[in-house]
Amino acid sequence: MLGWLQHKTTPLSHIVQTFNQCLPPAGNIRAAECSFLVIDLELTGLNAKRDHIVSLGWVPVRQHEVVLSEARHYLVISPVSVGQSAIFHGLHDKDFDDARELADVLTELLQRYAGYIFVAHHCQLDYRFLNVACQRIFAKSAKFSFIDTLNIELYRLQKQGIVMKKDALRLPQCLSRHKLPQSNQHHALADAYSSALLLLSQLKHSHADITLADLQLQSR
Amino acid sequence: MEVAEVTTFLAGTTPFDQLKTTELASLAEQISVYYCQNGETVQLSSERLMIVRTGIFALFSDQQTLLTKLEEGDFYGYQLLLTGLADNDQLVCEEDGLVYWLTAEAFHQLRYQYKNIDIFFQRLFSRRLHQYKAQQQHSRFTLKVSDVVQARKVAISGEQTVQQAAILMTEKRVSSLLVEQDDRLVGIITDRDLRSRVLADNLAAQTPVNQVMTAKPHTIDKHAYLFEAVQLMSRHNVHHLPVLDKQQSYSMITATDIIRSQQDHPVYLIGEIHRQTSVDGLEHCASQITNLALTMGKQQVPAHEAGHIITTITDALTQRLIKLAQIEFGPSPCVFSWLAFGSQGRMDQSLNADQDNALLLEKEPVGDVADYFAALADFVCQGLARCGIILCPGNIMASNSALRLSLKGWSGQFAKWVNSPTPEALLKSSIFFDLRVIEGSKGLFNALQNDILARTNGNTLFLYHLAQTALQRTAPLSFLRNFILEHDGKQKKGLDLKKRGISVITDIVRVYALSAGIAEINTRQRLVKLASNGIMDAKDTQNLSDAFDILAQLRWDKHQHDLTEGHEVSNLLDPKVLSGLQRHQLKDSLTVINDAQSALKHRFCREM
Repeated sequence: MLGWLQHKTTPLSHIVQTFNQCLPPAGNIRAAECSFLVIDLELTGLNAKRDHIVSLGWVPVRQHEVVLSEARHYLVISPVSVGQSAIFHGLHDKDFDDARELADVLTELLQRYAGYIFVAHHCQLDYRFLNVACQRIFAKSAKFSFIDTLNIELYRLQKQGIVMKKDALRLPQCLSRHKLPQSNQHHALADAYSSALLLLSQLKHSHADITLADLQLQSR
Repeated sequence: MEVAEVTTFLAGTTPFDQLKTTELASLAEQISVYYCQNGETVQLSSERLMIVRTGIFALFSDQQTLLTKLEEGDFYGYQLLLTGLADNDQLVCEEDGLVYWLTAEAFHQLRYQYKNIDIFFQRLFSRRLHQYKAQQQHSRFTLKVSDVVQARKVAISGEQTVQQAAILMTEKRVSSLLVEQDDRLVGIITDRDLRSRVLADNLAAQTPVNQVMTAKPHTIDKHAYLFEAVQLMSRHNVHHLPVLDKQQSYSMITATDIIRSQQDHPVYLIGEIHRQTSVDGLEHCASQITNLALTMGKQQVPAHEAGHIITTITDALTQRLIKLAQIEFGPSPCVFSWLAFGSQGRMDQSLNADQDNALLLEKEPVGDVADYFAALADFVCQGLARCGIILCPGNIMASNSALRLSLKGWSGQFAKWVNSPTPEALLKSSIFFDLRVIEGSKGLFNALQNDILARTNGNTLFLYHLAQTALQRTAPLSFLRNFILEHDGKQKKGLDLKKRGISVITDIVRVYALSAGIAEINTRQRLVKLASNGIMDAKDTQNLSDAFDILAQLRWDKHQHDLTEGHEVSNLLDPKVLSGLQRHQLKDSLTVINDAQSALKHRFCREM
């Protein structure tokens, strides 16, 4: 299980290289056959250059099932104090005693989930922060292939001609629209799990043969 | 790592609720979550246990009959995991939902570690088997020969002597023997044969059995119904029948066996009651009611029939106590009617009912008449209390002098309730409108009932107030169709099947019945009459009647359960112990009550 630790001696850029070499599936494959990694980051702010990742949570979805045995939640040792953002994610400096180096967390992520389609609710932010982090740590950009449950939801609602109220696309609102259980917001793993359930529901309510390319189109 | 939403759900789900937090977390790690869509057939797997997180799933047998519905917190697939045997059931999603799949490994680990969890799933499994049995056998279950006789074969061969037969009978304490030749049944010999065919005919003790036995006797199969045995015995005037199992002799059934098996039949108990000459004797008879109730449960007597039978027994006890009182205090100075109200009046009495009775007298209760009936009423009410029918906490009993009135007195009393109704007074008095005569003059009673119905029939003000009291208690369903549970004095949580279910229906139906001058008292009969007279919509009465039956059945089952466990009989039911289908029926029934209350309000409380 801790196999990825042994690779620590390999040059850092090599980790990203290996990740990038494992290409995500082709666009014409049925979405049902893809493996997804649903991820959520808690951040100190919205600026990827200036702000930091506080915690990461992820859970894979394979063959239409959320695999809880691989659910992960990591607090990240932050170069600066958590400060003001504690208001949102409820984490304080004292909680970070068993936090991990971001490099370790990202290494696990890249080595385990190469070839996965990454999923997040409002993925641009997560994508930017992961990219900057990879640049800084590995001096190389990882080629993440992301889809966005928020944009898929937007596409669905527009297609049904539903007039959207304010906040209609926020995760809790999406969950209740899909009659899915609510959970503790602003906890990286809880949010990743909720997004995973949302993805399952969205996939089930699309036509059975929806391809990855279709999903990617809806995610834009 | 832990997903809080999943562990929180597991922590609130029987039987996982007994696990520690750390154990719940590692249990959650063995789970995969799947989203199931309406119409989808769930692919069952031998490798995993299914736990319903949200949504509704319908389970169909291979004949496409609906077996049950699964909802939040229900399980499926345990039968395959427990027995390794697959069945041909089909599980179809009816409402989109989430399914947890727990690995077989984790399931077995849990069962191994926790005896309680193992027992929980074993019970689920056996209840399921029971469900199948009920499905196959639509007819009512009646006793079979095999329920009464044990596998006790006492046999002798034809060549042995009658003396040896007599010795064997004495030794085994039986009144008859099977006679076998080469393992085949050839005849029977009874102690009566020894008397009339051996002793009376002066035959030697060394006479072989086959000379005096009854050859080729009538036989009955082990799986035959008991009444078939009774029929066979009376048709051929015999008291012994060899019982066969697959054409081999298995045992003997005698007339005594049959009588013994029927001893806790209500007919016998009521006969017993009328033979008693003391309150002690009646108390002893009444102590058998519990056993009778359990037997009725085993024979799957429906709740409304059981309620009827229990009422009949209470009636018999009352009648006998009145007779005993008349022996003690002499004949009554005037004609009277002993009245029963409430559940005894409606003939749907349950095991924990209290007394609700009164006296209607031909003469005004003054002087000797008053003294006589005071003594009689006290004797009967105290006697009933000794028989387990507790004294009425609200003092609605004939022993209360305010409830021993002449026809004029009662008529005045009802006139007061009907003509100037106040909510408080009606709330207390509504049970008086469900009255029946138990003993004494039927004519006197009819006069009173006609008087009441003439007052209530079409009396809008009275009906408005009576409807208001029927609206006071609501069915315990929340806006989102969840059960609202309440606590009893002992901190037990549950749903009061009587107060918030059965009684509400009774109250609603009473308003309609009184509005139309219907003399029927029993709730089901009132509904039949209301439908046939066109007072209520036929579909609505059917729905109410079904809901009433379901609630009564649940209460009856609950009482049975309480009796078996040795608990005090209570009306408070925890919906968690119900199967998915029962929970559905319960919710449906409560919805029916809600609808009926709105209709009642619309009909009787509109113009006020």
